[in-house]
Amino acid sequence: MTFLIDDLLIRPFVGFLEIIHDMAIRELYNLEDIQDELKENRLLFELGERSQEEYELRKSQLEAQLQEAQEAHEHLRGRARVIE
Amino acid sequence: MNETKWYVYGIVEAEPLRMDVSGVAGAEEVTAVEHQQIAALVSEIETMNPDRSEANVRAHNQVLKQAMDQGCDGTVVPMQFGMVFETKNTIENVLRHGRRAFVQALEQTEGMIELGVKIIAHSDASVDRAAIVASVEDELDRSSETVAQNRMFSDRLLINRSYLVERSNREALDAGIDRLRDRHEDVTIQYSGPWPPYNFVDIQIGASQ
Repeated sequence: MTFLIDDLLIRPFVGFLEIIHDMAIRELYNLEDIQDELKENRLLFELGERSQEEYELRKSQLEAQLQEAQEAHEHLRGRARVIE
Repeated sequence: MNETKWYVYGIVEAEPLRMDVSGVAGAEEVTAVEHQQIAALVSEIETMNPDRSEANVRAHNQVLKQAMDQGCDGTVVPMQFGMVFETKNTIENVLRHGRRAFVQALEQTEGMIELGVKIIAHSDASVDRAAIVASVEDELDRSSETVAQNRMFSDRLLINRSYLVERSNREALDAGIDRLRDRHEDVTIQYSGPWPPYNFVDIQIGASQ
């Protein structure tokens, strides 16, 4: 909550809803979480707990998610530059 | 338009070098771009953004391992995957401006290799993490120069560490791993390497690429 209030004080012209939206995007597209799951997928495959097919399928899903997340973050960064 | 770009794998002490490789983005050759006794290991490629595929990342690592084995006095300061420069001149500028940091990193890792240790709990097991950590430190720390704690990317991971080890001390670490396997049969131990010292050099290249 402190973050929200600070952000509103620093940038009062940014709408409250806009900040909530940005935070939701950051939460939804957490790059580190996706990268961690990619590594865990690989680990489970190496341990023999995931078949080649399961591994490949999950890998391609996560890579697509990562790509989407990177684009969302790019979008947010672009908007931050506009606001500055 | 397919202009040549320059992919950099790592930095070594300068010496004439040419290696046949299966490199990043289909590169088949690695050469050295030298500047004042240090050199960048480079391949000519056709893109500024090589695909971050498993094959390319493996190729990057394989080239560095080959360089460690074939020459370069066994010491290579690795670059992160994806460092591409527009011109050879830019690489020479990077070597010029980063010379002090590169030389320091080469000195700090001279004759050293990196070895990786992951310890993973079995899927249905309850394991005493503190006891595992204590015995890992007991068995491995004394054979290594430095230890890096890596990201715990899975709940199943009990240990994810990298060890910087003198080449001549490799067998001592191997023996420590064997003893750990005997002491802890309820976990899986992944022991990997030798790697270039990825986790022990931290040089940020800020030059315009």
